[in-house]
Amino acid sequence: MTQALLVLWILCAIFIILENRIYRVIIYFGIFSLITSLAYLLLGAPDVAMAEAAISAFCTIFFIICIEKYYSSRDNVKKEEERGSKKHLFRGFVKLLPPLALCAGLFVLFVYFIPDSPMSTYLKYQYLMRFMQDVGGENAVTAIYLGYRVYDTLFEALILVISVVAVSHMSYYEASQVKDGKHSEIENSGMAIFTMRLICPIIIIFGAYLIMNGHISAGGGFQGGLAVATFFICRYLIYDIYDIPVNKVIKLEEIVFISIIIVTAFAVFLGAAAYMPTAFLPFYHNIYLIIMNVLIGMKVACGFFVLFYRYIAIERR
Amino acid sequence: MGIENIRHLIGNIIIYIGAAFMVFGVVGLFRLKDFYPRILVASKIDTVGVLTLITGFAIRHGLSFFTGKLFLIMVIMLILNPLVAHIVARSAYLSGHKVNGIAGGTPALPELDENGE
Amino acid sequence: MIVFWVMFALLALYMVRTIKGPAMWDRLLGLNLISTKIIVIIIVVASIYGKPFLLDFAIIYALSGFIGTIFLALFLSERRLGKQRGNKDGY
Repeated sequence: MTQALLVLWILCAIFIILENRIYRVIIYFGIFSLITSLAYLLLGAPDVAMAEAAISAFCTIFFIICIEKYYSSRDNVKKEEERGSKKHLFRGFVKLLPPLALCAGLFVLFVYFIPDSPMSTYLKYQYLMRFMQDVGGENAVTAIYLGYRVYDTLFEALILVISVVAVSHMSYYEASQVKDGKHSEIENSGMAIFTMRLICPIIIIFGAYLIMNGHISAGGGFQGGLAVATFFICRYLIYDIYDIPVNKVIKLEEIVFISIIIVTAFAVFLGAAAYMPTAFLPFYHNIYLIIMNVLIGMKVACGFFVLFYRYIAIERR
Repeated sequence: MGIENIRHLIGNIIIYIGAAFMVFGVVGLFRLKDFYPRILVASKIDTVGVLTLITGFAIRHGLSFFTGKLFLIMVIMLILNPLVAHIVARSAYLSGHKVNGIAGGTPALPELDENGE
Repeated sequence: MIVFWVMFALLALYMVRTIKGPAMWDRLLGLNLISTKIIVIIIVVASIYGKPFLLDFAIIYALSGFIGTIFLALFLSERRLGKQRGNKDGY
């Protein structure tokens, strides 16, 4: 049944490439990422599927905001009819042919030269058989990204911090300007506001559950942090104001990043991490995993909150 | 024939009823020629179909952890599915999408694309 | 298993509606319906394999899928009202 899903997936990708109008592309991209993450789930990568599902919503929002900003900053917008002709569609398909041929050739090569015997099995033994006693927890992905490859996680966190700082400095405004941002002309209807008030606590409780339960089942800091950031977006939709001081959130994120580094260093020196086998009891392993997941979740939530509020402030200034 | 089998049978019947609801919804989605009847039929049938299906699965699995999570999904769907339909229909109405030539919310909207793009 | 294939056929049909749909809001409606179908497919798969942890995915789809649709609808209607007000680009 995965193969049938992948056929739909490829069809959707072709429609994305051949489409010229930008709003339709966004909607097709939403469908594409939904099907992508279902395929991840069926192929046995639950953590990636959850991250993809949470990211697709954020991608949609950021795309819309950037496109609206682009159109509102341009002086004369070209008419849409010029771009939506049949001839253009055919030309796009002709342009598509060489990369398609290249992909087909690579696929044939991959099928014919696939190695029949497995490579070295030492790493497989190291990572898959021993992660429970090395790092603790029942989720092998968590064991890898918080135990064996914790330095990679540090650098990923650093990249997120850099992007947040860059966005917040490029879109710098005075506090009063942002506070008096243009409110939405169409306020949400009363029914929508009431319903989102009902759904908000469920979102934040579920995000906390994902973060705290990340070392046992699928989930973890990144996914839970995205869910918590979704809560803040809902809050914006309900109240439609910028009453949270963004600068303090940026400060909080930097503090959390520094504490991530400190916790990792302590873990290395005290021996709670994986590469020092004779160390603490498994109980302490779990505490280390939970603390790291909570810190990463806080960092991701703060980062996406800052990105969203800055983009919205640009758009509706 | 134990109580287990009876429960499975009832659950299966309810699941098939839910799937049948959804198939009828698709018929409405393709036969109707206008946007507002389409969103009415599609959202209503879809919500009812999903709720029926989840009820069927809950009966099938008995009282367990699985059923608790299913109940949570049921509550979320019950809240969110009408919300999205409401917001989409409201957006179309506020933008003056026409119902068979009769003007919608805002009466005069010249020089605009028919399809909202 | 039958339910899985029925849902899959519905997914394909909704994709046809989304790609063909004349108005922008038809496409939004199709997006919403497709996300509902994906939730049902996940529930079916979790029931077949008997793994309750797969239901977390259904919950997170339901919780985060509606945000994008709401924002698209909001921005579409705001753009249209701005055009009506007389601004050239919708703002």
